[in-house]
Amino acid sequence: MSSLDWIILLGTLAFIVVWGVWKTRGVSTAQEYLRGTDLRWPTIGLSIMATQASAITFLSVPGQAYEDGMRFVQFYFGLPIAMVIICVVFVPIYYRLNVMTAYAYLEQRFDTKVRVLAALLFMVGRGLAAGISIYAPAIILSSLLGWSLNAMTLLMGSAVILYTVSGGAKAVSQTQKQQMVVILAGILIAAVVIAYRLPDDVSVATATSLAGALGRVNPVDFSFNFDSRYTFWSGITGGLFLALSYFGTDQSQVQRYLGGRSMAESRLGLLFNGILKIPMQFLILFIGVLVFAFYLFERPPVFFNGPTLEAARQSAQGPALAEVEARWASTFDARRDQAVALAAALADDDAAAEAQARAGLLAAQAELDGVRAEAKALIKQAVPAAELKDSDYIFVSFVLKYLPPGLIGLLLAVILSAAMSSTASELNALGSTTVVDLYQRLWRPGASDRHILRASKLFTVFWGLVAMAFAAFAALVDNLIQAVNILGSIFYGVILGIFLVAFFLKWVRATPAFLAALVAQTGVIVLYFVSDIGFLWFNVIGCALVVGAAALLQAVWPGGSPTPAPLEETT
Amino acid sequence: MAAPEDPPPLLGTWPRLYALVLLNLALMVLGFWLFERVFG
Repeated sequence: MSSLDWIILLGTLAFIVVWGVWKTRGVSTAQEYLRGTDLRWPTIGLSIMATQASAITFLSVPGQAYEDGMRFVQFYFGLPIAMVIICVVFVPIYYRLNVMTAYAYLEQRFDTKVRVLAALLFMVGRGLAAGISIYAPAIILSSLLGWSLNAMTLLMGSAVILYTVSGGAKAVSQTQKQQMVVILAGILIAAVVIAYRLPDDVSVATATSLAGALGRVNPVDFSFNFDSRYTFWSGITGGLFLALSYFGTDQSQVQRYLGGRSMAESRLGLLFNGILKIPMQFLILFIGVLVFAFYLFERPPVFFNGPTLEAARQSAQGPALAEVEARWASTFDARRDQAVALAAALADDDAAAEAQARAGLLAAQAELDGVRAEAKALIKQAVPAAELKDSDYIFVSFVLKYLPPGLIGLLLAVILSAAMSSTASELNALGSTTVVDLYQRLWRPGASDRHILRASKLFTVFWGLVAMAFAAFAALVDNLIQAVNILGSIFYGVILGIFLVAFFLKWVRATPAFLAALVAQTGVIVLYFVSDIGFLWFNVIGCALVVGAAALLQAVWPGGSPTPAPLEETT
Repeated sequence: MAAPEDPPPLLGTWPRLYALVLLNLALMVLGFWLFERVFG
């Protein structure tokens, strides 16, 4: 990286941290720290988007489009519907009760044990996720740039802890506004620069058509294909469930809109996300498509994780790999010729030549895919611990190799800003939940505001250290990211189920709801061990089990437990 | 904190604004479908 890149990268990150600390230096009450106050809808909307946009969004999603096309955008089709449902159902309830956390509502509706159970389930899943938010970008960037993994973890974690502890929810929202501006500007600039790097005689429209000929332009699939993870129908149903659970019951998101100046501001922030999220994801995927089109004319590496490829070249498999790489080069040349022919046919509007070139391009791509698979097999033999899924490295390796000085620093700032913004929300939410739902509720109900403020800061530091320790430990465990995703799915559905029972099954009392949550959680865990069900389905199964079991238990438990007295406001 | 039902800054009522968000979703899906028809 050049000096200019370092200046832009460190300058951007330092500005965000200093600005966050300075802007929130007056935060002096627990209410301000835990919930934030007086936020306007643009801040809320950007904060919600920044919380969801982790570094993996920018590392993985373009690579996903490169490998598999744009179908992933359908995953978000349920999100605008979820935003409307949350505005209609969730937000008025949270505002009416003036809760600090989503789980405080459960005590009002049920009792303390249901509240504590939901809070604990959230803390297990989100606590691990906070570590991954730091670890995932650190492992990829440290590998490609030769930076120390532990130094990166320490730097990112410390910066996030600094401003999160300083200004709480308000600092998180204020810094996320800046981070989201950097992120959106970086995405737009990256798209323009990649388009500019295409060959002179290849327009963006032609490049898109070439990528489309190889199956990369596929944002909508209306088929009822249950083997395909991303279709219109799975997005509009499964995506709706996930978005409802995440935005409606996960404290890291609920905390973002509870700090609004009014209920109207909170609703507008959520709807802002409902309108902008899908175009943003579409643009990130489109960047991946443009990178794919770029590599139709410029030979890509046979494997995008450079350090692992180099290790394989130096191993006993080196000579065999060299032979495969030579074939990779000649096969690439054949594919490039077909791409040039198709671009010419499209320009001439020659249907016969276009059909012939399309068939030739598809055949060349199939051959190239075969050579890449051979290379991956050799790499696995050479480096048995290597992760063969290299799509997370596609975009960042493109940035490092082809973007001009200055923009490399900006794009790395985008990735690290995304990592910091999602981690800050998670630490802020974990600290709040620990203090409000456990510490203050169970052990120090009469504590002063000053005591609660100090405890909140200490618990935020505690969760920050846990996340950093987990990120450091994560390097020792294989497939940890997938393990954490599975763990999250195991708990997420049950939490959503508890909230849906609370909202819609008014006749269900506390004890049946609590027992149903325990039964459902046990059932999901058993299913995980004895079945081959895809882990995303645990969200739906866990939710359905809680709702079904709660209704059934209430039917055989006529009295239930008495409805508790309403909570006082500000708990 | 009270929970006043302030009207949204545009369209007058919340149901109309919700309908706009859902209409926007429908138009985006239609746009993606057309995008795929042209370039896919």
